[in-house]
Amino acid sequence: MSSIFRGKFALILKIIILAVVTAILSLLAQSAVASGEIAIGIFLIISIFALNFTYFTKISIPLKFFVPGILFFIAFVIAPILFTVLMSTYNYQTGNYISKEAAIEQVLIRGVEPDANQTTFDLVSGKVANGSDAVLVSDIANQKFFLSTQDEITFLDAGQLTINEYGVAVTAPGFTELSADELAKSDAYTKVRYKYQDGYYIVIEGQGVGAVFRQALAYDEKSDTMKNLQTGEIYVDNNRGNYVLEGSPEEMLTPGWRAPVWFENYTKLVTDSRVRTPLIKVFIWTVVFASLTVLSTFAFGLLLALALNRKMRGRRIYRSILILPYAMPSIMSILIWGGMFNTEFGAINNLLNTDIAWFSSANFARAAVLLVNLWLGFPYFYLICSGSLQAIPSELQEAAAIDGANPRQVFRSITLPLLLQILSPLLIASFAFNFNNFNLIYLLTGGGPRNTLDGEIAGATDILISYTYQIAFGRNILDFGLASAISVLIFFIVASISFYGLRKSKVMETFG
Amino acid sequence: MKNRLLKGLALAATMSFAAGLTLVPAQAASEIVIWADETRGPNLTKVFAKKSDWVPGSTIKVVSFSSYDALKDALDKASGTTGPDIFVAGNDWVPALAKSGKLAPVVLTAAQRAQFSPSQFFDLSYGGKLYGVPVDVNNVGMVYNTKLVKTAPKSYGDMVKFYLANKTKLGLKAGLCVAGGGMSWGGLSGFSALGAEPYQMNADGTVNFTKSFDATAFAKNVKTYLLDKNGKSNGFYPATDTGCQDNYLAGKVPFAIIGNWHWRTFAEAGFPMNIQPVPGVKAGTYGKMFGSVSGAFLTSYAEAHGVAVPAKSLLTNFFASTKGQVAYQAEEGRPPAEKGAQKSQLVLGGQKAMGAAASKSSIPQIGAFLNTNAGGANYWDSAPAYWTAVLVDGKDPLVEAKKLAAIWKANVAAGKADL
Repeated sequence: MSSIFRGKFALILKIIILAVVTAILSLLAQSAVASGEIAIGIFLIISIFALNFTYFTKISIPLKFFVPGILFFIAFVIAPILFTVLMSTYNYQTGNYISKEAAIEQVLIRGVEPDANQTTFDLVSGKVANGSDAVLVSDIANQKFFLSTQDEITFLDAGQLTINEYGVAVTAPGFTELSADELAKSDAYTKVRYKYQDGYYIVIEGQGVGAVFRQALAYDEKSDTMKNLQTGEIYVDNNRGNYVLEGSPEEMLTPGWRAPVWFENYTKLVTDSRVRTPLIKVFIWTVVFASLTVLSTFAFGLLLALALNRKMRGRRIYRSILILPYAMPSIMSILIWGGMFNTEFGAINNLLNTDIAWFSSANFARAAVLLVNLWLGFPYFYLICSGSLQAIPSELQEAAAIDGANPRQVFRSITLPLLLQILSPLLIASFAFNFNNFNLIYLLTGGGPRNTLDGEIAGATDILISYTYQIAFGRNILDFGLASAISVLIFFIVASISFYGLRKSKVMETFG
Repeated sequence: MKNRLLKGLALAATMSFAAGLTLVPAQAASEIVIWADETRGPNLTKVFAKKSDWVPGSTIKVVSFSSYDALKDALDKASGTTGPDIFVAGNDWVPALAKSGKLAPVVLTAAQRAQFSPSQFFDLSYGGKLYGVPVDVNNVGMVYNTKLVKTAPKSYGDMVKFYLANKTKLGLKAGLCVAGGGMSWGGLSGFSALGAEPYQMNADGTVNFTKSFDATAFAKNVKTYLLDKNGKSNGFYPATDTGCQDNYLAGKVPFAIIGNWHWRTFAEAGFPMNIQPVPGVKAGTYGKMFGSVSGAFLTSYAEAHGVAVPAKSLLTNFFASTKGQVAYQAEEGRPPAEKGAQKSQLVLGGQKAMGAAASKSSIPQIGAFLNTNAGGANYWDSAPAYWTAVLVDGKDPLVEAKKLAAIWKANVAAGKADL
């Protein structure tokens, strides 16, 4: 067996595996760079060198085991955290998605205006004798024809032209028409602004059609301003990702761009009552939800584990049944429970002979969420409690019994403290997991009910992560910057609780 | 060791170079990429499979998404390299996408513009620029079950009277429900028939920025027609659209609001097409529906892909043309937006009936007012919330109507800047 890891065969296998990995990573790097994702491209290139260097040299044996993990950790944990932190310092929302360069380009594309009659012409695209791009334009209404290049306009006599049955000039002396294929495969000619009269120009608006425009906005790179060429109005950078009219900051040009606003999204969490009030409400419910979930699932799991820790007939069958909720995909379970809680057709109201609107009332919705989470969570604690109970030496319980302790005293003074010592890290992990239990809330209640008519953004069952999702993706105005700030806040809360819990339980010392 | 490292790197580099040459996906030269949802996408694919030379020299590729929401999600995440050149959808995304620089302006000739109703361009514009061409009329209509109801209802009261008289006898689950378009978009007729609309239109087709709906009159109608003497729902109009279509088809609901894209489902189930708008409180009046248009929109990515002109040509040669709309609507089944296509003999009776319902009583769908949260909530969230509050939670219809009116008024005021 060990020969697989040594000798020529191992070397060839290693080279092949590394070559395949390198090829895939190179492909991804190439694709990332082509898409303008330079940071991702650089990371992938560094990964290629790190992997090849580690496995083709004898620099460090442990590193050969750690390198893939480290790279994945950087890619899927560190990088998203850093990106989220970075985005939390930006005005990054609907209307402010793109880079400043792209926004300037878009503003200038839109910063044109048609002439008073919104004139359009039939035209033919081609080249003139000197090789310049040109259009042969037919003003059918006025029976005028002209050849226009970027720099000059030449009016033509109808006698010089071939005119088709629609009255459109198709050939002119010294003008070569481009074929449909040439037109479709090259966009260079479409970017040209063909000369027209009185400061207006013609742009191609589809094959055979041109429209008359003039530039209404101009960008001054030196002062970083936009100027309305007709009115002279100046639009300045408001340092929040938009050009706004000097003196009237509410009048802005679109689109805007992602602009750094530093700690504004964080201060908004405290100073803006529209954000602060729901955030506090959601935070309190998140802590209550996570705590009650951990308590209820642990208590129920432990109860079942204690019950089934004794010898009884059919114990194996009971144990198998009890882990069924854990074996079923939670998404399916949540959706089924959602149907069971339906007011009109749900099994629960039918069984109880009630007409409770479970997801319309805040308290009923919260109860439903806790109940479903109990169903989903108790098998996990049942399993680990069962295992842990086996790990507690029976001598301790026997000794206590000999000393006269009753079963309740044995449980309270020996079994439970020992169990808690063993299970503390798992209880903390469960708390952290439920603190961010997005699937349950999103699929069961969608965070609701929320009193929309009173302007409530957060629903009664929204937890911090579902509220963040609501801000980032759940509405028509998407605010990724604010959502990132809340995500960073959640990160620190969960990290602090976990760190405190782990220190208290002294698990780290045990590992140390 | 150095030799081994070099050999390994050389082999890896060769393989990666070969992979790079063969596997890098690229958009073919002059390929116009269209994104659409799960119904429009496959139908467009069928149309382009039959005839593909709508733009000489260019090929067309349709990418279908699993749902309308999936399409929206993809558009939100699209970037210069991944985005489409054209997408086909309803018009309510125009303000947000235009504001974010994802749409590119389109210019039509006077002759092309004359083929559409001017209000249709209103739906597809933002900041005075047009971003797409109207493809089909997007509306709802009310159908009634002729096996249960023998004559067409003339007023809202007629429908309620029928429901209350036959509720027990026929085992009716509701009187009128929303089977298409959801409680917000499809349900506008339900609001409007009783006197509430998110914005008021003047007779000349412009928006009245000062007036909002009369909350007192609306609440009075809600009490009269939808609540019993104890102030609880009488069951005529459910607060959700759950099960509406099934119950209508099972003969348990006599009146249903359906979307114009699935009238065929009802026709094929044996129900004749009795399509009309929802009747209003006074006989001869009707609740207004969103008589909006779906559009084919040009994206700013088309310019980056070098296909801006072919894409614009596809918009005019196919999406906005009589031939194109007739060919597409033969598959899609909605009323075409273009005047020539509307007159075509190939357009079916159901499509024409839906179009007629929209022309009888509709308002344009103005995303700038409907999508904003400036009043505390947007139209899409606040509309169903009213029915939940009144019909499920038993809250006072007038108090809630006043809140609703205030939200919608603030949204209109805020959205004015985005027109």
